[in-house]
Amino acid sequence: MAQMETEVLIIGGGVLGAAVARELSRYKVDAILVEKEADFGWGSTKTNMCIVCQGGDTLEFRPEYRRSKLVWDSMPLMEPLCQELDVPFKKVGELALIRNNEELSKFQKLKSRAEKLGLGGHQFIDQDTLRQMEPNVTREAIGALYDPHIAIVDPVRLTIALIENASQNGVNVMRETQVVRISQEVNQFKVETNRGSVMCRFIVNAAGTSVDKIARLVNSDDFVLYPIRGYVGILDKNLGGFIKHEIHMRPDAPGQMNILTPSVHGNLFFGTTMQPGVRGDCSVKGRIAEIGFQNARKIVPDLSERDIIHSFAGFLMFRNWEVGWHECVVQASQKVPRFISICIGYPGVSAAPAAAHEVTDLLRREGLKLETDESFSPFRKASPVFNELPEEQQKELIAKNPRYGHAVCRCETVSEGEIVEAMRHGATTLDGVKFRTRAGMGRCQGGFCTPRVVKILARELGLSEEKITKKGRESRLLLHKSKELIEAQI
Amino acid sequence: MNYSDIDVAVIGSGPAGMAAAIKAKEEGAEHVLILERQEQLGGLLHQCVHNGFGLFYFGQDLTGPEYGHRFAEKVKDLGIQVLLETMVTRISADRQITAVNNREGVLCLMPRSLVLAMGCRERSRGQLNLPGTRPAGIFTAGTAQRFVNVEGWIPGKKVVILGSGDIGMIMARRLTLEGAEVKAVVEILPYIGGLTRNEVQCLHDFHIPLLLEHTITETHGQQRLEAVTIAKVNKDKKPVNGSHQMIECDTLLLSVGLIPENELSRMAGVALDPLTGGPGVDQWRETSVSGIFAGGNVVHVHDLVDEVSWEAEIAGTSAARFAKKEELEKEKKILKPGRNIRYVVPQTISAQHDVTLYARVKDMEENVTLKMGDIFSKSLRVVKPGEMLKIDLSRSQLRQLKDDAVELSIEGAKRRQ
Repeated sequence: MAQMETEVLIIGGGVLGAAVARELSRYKVDAILVEKEADFGWGSTKTNMCIVCQGGDTLEFRPEYRRSKLVWDSMPLMEPLCQELDVPFKKVGELALIRNNEELSKFQKLKSRAEKLGLGGHQFIDQDTLRQMEPNVTREAIGALYDPHIAIVDPVRLTIALIENASQNGVNVMRETQVVRISQEVNQFKVETNRGSVMCRFIVNAAGTSVDKIARLVNSDDFVLYPIRGYVGILDKNLGGFIKHEIHMRPDAPGQMNILTPSVHGNLFFGTTMQPGVRGDCSVKGRIAEIGFQNARKIVPDLSERDIIHSFAGFLMFRNWEVGWHECVVQASQKVPRFISICIGYPGVSAAPAAAHEVTDLLRREGLKLETDESFSPFRKASPVFNELPEEQQKELIAKNPRYGHAVCRCETVSEGEIVEAMRHGATTLDGVKFRTRAGMGRCQGGFCTPRVVKILARELGLSEEKITKKGRESRLLLHKSKELIEAQI
Repeated sequence: MNYSDIDVAVIGSGPAGMAAAIKAKEEGAEHVLILERQEQLGGLLHQCVHNGFGLFYFGQDLTGPEYGHRFAEKVKDLGIQVLLETMVTRISADRQITAVNNREGVLCLMPRSLVLAMGCRERSRGQLNLPGTRPAGIFTAGTAQRFVNVEGWIPGKKVVILGSGDIGMIMARRLTLEGAEVKAVVEILPYIGGLTRNEVQCLHDFHIPLLLEHTITETHGQQRLEAVTIAKVNKDKKPVNGSHQMIECDTLLLSVGLIPENELSRMAGVALDPLTGGPGVDQWRETSVSGIFAGGNVVHVHDLVDEVSWEAEIAGTSAARFAKKEELEKEKKILKPGRNIRYVVPQTISAQHDVTLYARVKDMEENVTLKMGDIFSKSLRVVKPGEMLKIDLSRSQLRQLKDDAVELSIEGAKRRQ
């Protein structure tokens, strides 16, 4: 790419950038989306608890916050969106455990507020009903507040689906493309990236944890964001069915959020301890991991540490006290015309559908002409997941393409056919294959399939295995050929 | 191929699966079938190019591939049916097997009896809950072993190994021979996790530092691993303040334990022993599900390949007898782990036959007595978790057992601090 031209440039291929791209693809608008990583959804989008349709679940969603409205407006949009895009969505409902009268009064407040907002359906349930619904929860709970709206998704798959649908409808998406400089020219921006420059009239800055950095490139950093690090642990699929709802308990210490939830793929997630962190430092701290697990055990005492298969840390961007700690950024710059920044922080995935509408409106107000594109198709079909198909369809698939009969990842039973298909859709790295197919996401965490996936990546990309990376850039997996080091010594 | 009328089906073709299949055939099972997910027979033996295999079974010092080859030849000679590149995806309590491969598609098999020989897998980084970043360059020792010995790639030049399991120590030597610098083998316990012979031959002989009572407290580097922080640990295995130091490295290998692989067993409703991670078995190596037998590392993790094959032979023989509708003695006496015993296999025995028990201790102790009720007692200079105890009991000894349950224990020890 030497120099490209477009009307709208979207910076960031997380769930928000992807949702904006897909929304814009409804119109006859020329748009490009750039993502700095080797695949989509690798920032805050992938590091969370995979819960959506929040808003009626905690008192922090105050009606005066913009963020609350985006989350509430998104609630009815999420399920139809997931259907159109063929991504897993499961309405699990939430049980907020109540241990004493003090907690009960908090939840009474929450329930009456939810009713006022028209988010009906919340109900208090007694201890016996709770036991029937969730036999494994702590005996300390005397009841719970049930929120029927809460659902779970796979945020990375949702992001990829949004990107694919946007791309089908004409948006140009580019990965490993990092914005380094933006200069303002008459009625347009010149955006320089590591792979050439883009001339554009509008910019949507959806750069996630870098959103303020990008705004600073045009001297439009009229908001302050603080990175808060959260910790999440993943438990083995063996525990699938151990709990059926997202279960929430009021934390005993500040800076903690105490949640245990099933995932759409059958694992359990627990977390998350929140604390200020240094941006980009996604390392898991030993003490925090310990607290996270202790908290999960307060919800379900029978959990065993042996069932933890993975843990990660991620960042949420919070705003300062002046505008409200829980406020978000969805705004056109005060100083620079046609420059829109968007960052929801927590819960960005939940707010994405309405946020995309909001950004589209802001673009219109900034002067973008939005003419409906009659050829827009809202539908996108997911690639087949071998493991989830009925036997007859498995047979057909193997007959058509024998690679589906070659199991590569044993824990998640992912076939070579799925990996090659994921590559056809854009996976170029070990993590890309992992997030798109789940190869390496099981209990052995890639111990078995890593050499096999590396081989397939190398073969399909026509590269030496030495060149294959975990997640792009400098993350090569294999640094030397056999005997290379000895020969260098001789 | 003919998949009907199978007497014994064996899942896995490592040192356990092949041994079980051979014995089943020799015991008179006519149609024996091995299901293997890799391209060739042998399981993990292919990547174990070091020696030390078969010292007891064959009385010869062989490499892993050589050891496997001897069994594979016999599998061929005996006319045992083999299905390669075939992944079993499901088994049921009535022994129905569902498997996939790229030739026949989805297969459904109904053998008369079944031997589980899926072996074990390595504990991963996630299970350790190891703090720090998530860069490239962190592998389990076994994954690195496959890259080096089978695929021909060296993961990196400056290596730290966490855990002193056998594969970790063997990889320390292997990578040193490949020209990499192994900066340390870090072990949280006051003693190694693997065999003494590997400590001597793989670490001491190559001057590789072994840091006992140390652990890794953090990994560094966003893209590729750049360093690890290690620290000394106290008696509670918690890092000691002020003992932290950073070691620059591009590769971290984990050799922190093996876990019997029993996903399929669970599907069939086979009861697992939480102490071993494998199916509870009787002396015939029959699991809680009638007609499903198990042998080798799928039952419990062994120290030596020879023992893996021997145990699987018991399972193979019993499976053949079951297929022939022979009665297996079912009087059950329960073996319980007592003081300083982590587990005993088999978990139940009949008192009517000679039996060999395998047990592992929890902690290292010196000058102890291994006792089993009133019927067995033996003095031992030292017991270590890394070295399995083997106890041969005769029928006449077992006949003295009065109760239905008996405890195996380590007595009279001065605990080593």
